[in-house]
Parts: sequence; structure tokens; C-alpha cells
Amino acid sequence: MRVTVERRLRQPRWLAVAVPAGSLVFAFGVAAIVLVATGHDPVSSYRQLFDAAFVSTGSLDQTLIAATPLAFTGLAAAAAFRMRIFNIGAEGQLYMGAITGAAAGLYLGGRGGPSAFVIAAMVVAGCAGGAAWASISGVFRAFFGTSEILTSLMLNYVAGYVLTYLIFQSESYWRQTKGFNATVFPTGKPLPSSAVWPGLTVHAQGGIVLPLGAGLAVLAAVVLWALYRRTRFGFEVQVLGDSAGAARYAGVRTRRKILAVMAISGAIAGLGGVSQDGDFRHALDGDPNGLQKQAYGYSGIVVAALGRYNPFAVVLIAFLIGGLDNAGNTLQGADFPSGLVGVIQGIILFSALGGELLVRHRVRVVRRASAVAAAPPAAAPEASP
Amino acid sequence: MTRRKLALAAAAFVIAGAAAVLALGTSPGRAKSNAAFKVAWIYVGPHNDGGWSQAHDEGRQYVQKMLGSKVQTTYKENIAVGAQLQQTVASLVSQGYKMIFGTSYGFFDKALAAKYPNVLFEQATGTDVAKNLAEYFGRAEDTVFLSGMAAGAAAKCNTIGYVVAYPIPEVIRHANAFALGAQVMHPGVKVRLVWTNSWFDPAKEKKAAQSLVAAGACVLGQNVDSPATGQYAESQHIPWVGYDSDASKFAPKSWLTASVYNWGLYYLRRVKAAMNGTWKPGFYYGTINDGFTKLAPYGPGVSAKAKAAIAKKEKQLENGSWYEFQGPLYDQSGKLRVKKGVRMQVLKGGTNSLYGMNWLVKGVIGSPKG
Repeated sequence: MRVTVERRLRQPRWLAVAVPAGSLVFAFGVAAIVLVATGHDPVSSYRQLFDAAFVSTGSLDQTLIAATPLAFTGLAAAAAFRMRIFNIGAEGQLYMGAITGAAAGLYLGGRGGPSAFVIAAMVVAGCAGGAAWASISGVFRAFFGTSEILTSLMLNYVAGYVLTYLIFQSESYWRQTKGFNATVFPTGKPLPSSAVWPGLTVHAQGGIVLPLGAGLAVLAAVVLWALYRRTRFGFEVQVLGDSAGAARYAGVRTRRKILAVMAISGAIAGLGGVSQDGDFRHALDGDPNGLQKQAYGYSGIVVAALGRYNPFAVVLIAFLIGGLDNAGNTLQGADFPSGLVGVIQGIILFSALGGELLVRHRVRVVRRASAVAAAPPAAAPEASP
Repeated sequence: MTRRKLALAAAAFVIAGAAAVLALGTSPGRAKSNAAFKVAWIYVGPHNDGGWSQAHDEGRQYVQKMLGSKVQTTYKENIAVGAQLQQTVASLVSQGYKMIFGTSYGFFDKALAAKYPNVLFEQATGTDVAKNLAEYFGRAEDTVFLSGMAAGAAAKCNTIGYVVAYPIPEVIRHANAFALGAQVMHPGVKVRLVWTNSWFDPAKEKKAAQSLVAAGACVLGQNVDSPATGQYAESQHIPWVGYDSDASKFAPKSWLTASVYNWGLYYLRRVKAAMNGTWKPGFYYGTINDGFTKLAPYGPGVSAKAKAAIAKKEKQLENGSWYEFQGPLYDQSGKLRVKKGVRMQVLKGGTNSLYGMNWLVKGVIGSPKG
């Protein structure tokens, strides 16, 4: 008996629904075994998880805070991965966007410009910072054929050190230097009030603030969808992703496309960075235990894969994973180790990603008898049972 | 188009499925009675990190043990500053926690305290005080100085390695105190620093220890949270001075001693005050005399002579006839920073205060900027 995995010729519609649902049920089943083995009631744990993510007072507010950066980094990854440009550098591009965006906010806000103008300038600066950082990898890939996976990954570390340098190791423009508190622990200079992004408060669940960043993420998803589905540029990018050789033969300018896709991907990640400044932190966070420990850029790759690179699905998945993230903080405690929370989150993500295989492939158990019937005996190796 | 719809439908199905699974379960009724006063701790690393966070968690357990069913305590571990911290505080407040201890700088500020006016916040190592926000810490520099004496006495070469977290006054004053202590027992000894830019990062700490040994250090010390430095010291058969907690079990042969904290006494006092309504915000700076900080039990590598010298200095610290940060103190370049007879204050004195110190004493190799 053999087990083979083969590509599906047709992908039935129901599979796209059944597979994620099945994966989730499977994940909850496996996680339940872990929970029971460690002496926890799985049903009440799941209920708490769900409550803390989406139901209890203030939970959606907190879930949005976790989801917003993931939506940006997810979109950044999706934008590049579609063309088979593997930009692993959303992490560093997010830092760079946070740095340039904060510079714009501090400078223009400090000079007393109107808030709308300051915020618009921050958005532009954040996109530019992320795009410029991503373009380093883009240029190397387009002109020298250097793997963008390696360069973008390594540039993440460089960006992290730049961030640490600006706040911890120098008295830079971004660092708060006034007041006694500034000497106790280095922090970013607070943004002037005109550079703090407004949120839309919804009076439900004890007040849910829709951050401006969340709106921009949805807008970015719409623009990305339109770009890839409704323009010649998008079509050419799709063709390049499917078959680079065919695209070149058809006269698509490959270098330009690589540069453009990297820049777009970096710009979206950079927007995520400036949203961290404007929406949530209200300063440039250079603490390795702060922004850098969250690893939004890497999580975004998982978000993009689960969303099958579809911009709208990416935003939705970011929301769900944001909920999972947020719930993890609520669930852990003296009687529930944070490691166990990580195990459960890991099982859920792993199952969901693993299940994706089944959408495009099918697993077939081939009985020896039928294998013999299908092929001459010489071709069937003696497999151990 | 259809793929998008399908993806959305799939996600909706997933949510519905999850809701169904949860709805099937029985309601998990609140087990604890409402009478218990709920207190939470937030840690920057794991609760059993073998160092800083573990010392705080021992304090939490002490409170739970002393007050029994009158309190309900919990902790949140590995919490990063920013979104994760905000979420953690929000969920603790909504679960009815009335008092929260944040054990790392940057966790709480006046804005956060103002957002939850009915919750009492206490933060270790900071300076922000508000109506419902207090700060606490203590003179670990005194005991770090004593542990530096043990390191100096054990050093057979002229370089001691010291693994340090962030280039901030707290860490700088501990490094200075450590170096001053080592110099008492071993005049002219150099203390070499390597920064990790993290409170808890065992991999980086081990690498730092390796590079210090490669640079000639024959004794290691640390101002980071994990015992990774000690484990490396054990593998190299060289003495090690820990920090925060008694971590001798991680390196039984290398272990000399460590400056350790007893947070429990403070926590118990503050929780009791919160329960009977006498809690007031303030800035607490504990001492050896308070029982707040002390030296951990010695390991096999501390000589009788060193023990006697340390005991003598400890007595003098207790009765105030000795203070490591009393002038004359010189910086790395040999410039006189603190004049003869002048004692450094905790908050007053700018860069010549314990909370503002941004320069390293003579004999320390490394940059105070990281």
C-alpha cells in the first residue's frame, strides 16, 4: 500500500470552504489533547480564547490593535509573493517606515502645520521609507540576480540595529532628551498632538476605536486588488509570476516589474510602520523589547499565505490572527503558561497552513493490488507495509 | 472573483464553526469568590527565567502564601512594551484585577494610569508617580558592589567580563558598582563590558560571554536576566557572579554569589495597604537594612579571606560608614567626576545621581553608549 499526493486537475468549490474548516476542527482536536494532557479543560479554554478575541468588553478594540500591523505586513508579503518575488523584509521595511514617518511627524507637527497635512505627510514619508529600504533588495535582484530572500532578510537585522541606534546609542532627532525621565530609560520623542492619528470610536462593547491605520489597510487592499486585477501592470505581473520566460518572450519589462513590485511591497510595510507611530505608540519605538519583539513582518508572511495572496482575504485573516494574538495575552497566567498559549496558536496556524495543501492536491491511498493492476509488476517496488 | 468569495466564505465558516464549538461547552462559571482581592504581575521575560522575573514571581508567591484566600494573584510573562502590554493591561482590568505590578521600565506611565483610574499601578525601576501609580526599586548597587568583591578576589588574571543589557543608568551604575567592588579586592583589575540590548536573551548572553572570555576574561559577571552566562562559565571552568536570583544550580562549580532581591516584603506591604485602603503612591528605594537586597549564598570558589572582607564591607554599608558611590570617583578617562567626600543621591544630581549616571568609572572597558 502506498500513499501518494497528486495535483488536483479540478479544484471543487466546496473544498475552499471545507479545507479551512476541517483544518480548524483538526487543530482544535489536537490542541484539546495537549490541553487535557496538561490538566486544562479544553472547552473552557477555547471559550476563553474566543471571548477574549472577539466577544468580551473591549476585546475587539484590542484585537484591532494587534490586527492592523498584521494586515499591512500581510498585504506587503502578498503583493510581492504573487509575482514570486519573495520579500521576507517587511519587518525591516516596517521599521524604516516607522523611522521616516516619525521624522515627518516630529518635524512638520513641531512646526505647527494642520493635522491633516501632517498626517498625510507622515503617510507619504512612511511609504517612501519602506519602499526605499525594499528597493535595495529590488535593485540587487533586478540588476544582479541576487536572491531577494537573503538580502531582504539580512536588511531586517540592519534596520533593527538602526532603530536601536537612533534611540539607545545616540541622541538622535527621534530620541527624547528633555526631562529627567529621558535619562532613566531612552525613549522616542513624543509626537506633537497634530501628528497623532485620529481613531473612529464605535460605541459598542464598551468603546471600540477603529484606528486610522485599519482604514488605510483596507484602502491598501482595495488598491492592490484593483492594481492586480484591473490594470495592464497587474496582468503583466501575474504573467511574470506564472512564467517568467513566457513573460519575457511577450515583451514584459522584467526589471522594471521587479523594482516596482518590491517598492510597492515595501511601501505597504512602511505604512504599517508609520501606523505604529501615529496610531498606537505616538513616538518612534526603538526598544528591542517593543516593536522589534513583535515580529509583525514575519507574521505577515503567514497571514499572506493563509489569505492565498488575495488582498481582501489577507485583511480578514489578519483580523482573525490579531484576535488569536490578543486572546493569547488574556489566556496566559499563573495557571496557564505562555508557552502553552504559543503551542495552541502554533497548532492552529500549522494546521491551517498544512490544510492548504489539500485544496490543490489530493492524497490517494493506492492499494498494492490495484497498483499491480495499473502497472506491470516490475515497476512496483516492494514497499514495506 | 470566485476565489475571493470562496476565501471569505471559508473564513466565515471557520468563525461559525469556532462559535459552535464554544457554544457546545458548558459555561465555565467563575470559580473564585468575588471577595478575593485580585492582584497581577507583568513580567518582561519568563516567570522562571532564573533571574529578574523569577525573583519577582517568588515575591508574588510570597504574597499569595501570606494572604491565602484573601487574594487571588496571577502573572503575565514575556510581555513586550507597546500593543502587547496595552492588551494585557486591558484584559487584566476587565477581569477585575485591582492592582497591577509592572516589573520592567516602560510598562506603565501617567497616561496609562489615567486611563484606568480605579486600578492601582506599581512599576519597578521607573520614576513616574501619579495618583494611582507608584514606583519601587532599591540599592542593588550596594550588593552588586559586594558581589564584585567576590569576583575581584577570584580573578587570577587582570580582566573580568560583565554581560550587560541596555546602556542606561540602572545598568551603568550596577556595572560601576561591580567594578569598584572588584577593584577593592584586586587593585588595577579591568572590567570589560559587552551589551546585549535586551533584558532576556539567553542566546545573545551566551555569545557575549564567549566574546568576553575570548577577550581574556577569567571571571564573568552579569546584569541581564538569564543564567546563560553562568552556564557558559561552568563549561569553561571559570568563576561566575550572577544577578537577581540565586542561580547556583545552573553552574554549581562556577557560582560565586549574586546580588539578589527580596521583592516579597515590599509586595506584601503594598497589597495589604491596597486592601485596607491606606495605599499611597510614592517612590520606594529599598536597602540592605530593609531586607530588600542581599547577597546569595556563596559557592565553592569564594575564599575565607574574601568572605571576611565582604562581611566587613557589608557591615559598613549597613551602618553607613561606607558607600561605594562616595567621591573621589574618576571616570574612564581619569577625570574626577565626584569630589572627595561627596555621596551620590538617588534622583538628585543629574548625571552624578544614581538614576542619571551615564559614565563609567575608571577601569571599566566599554562604551557607556552601548
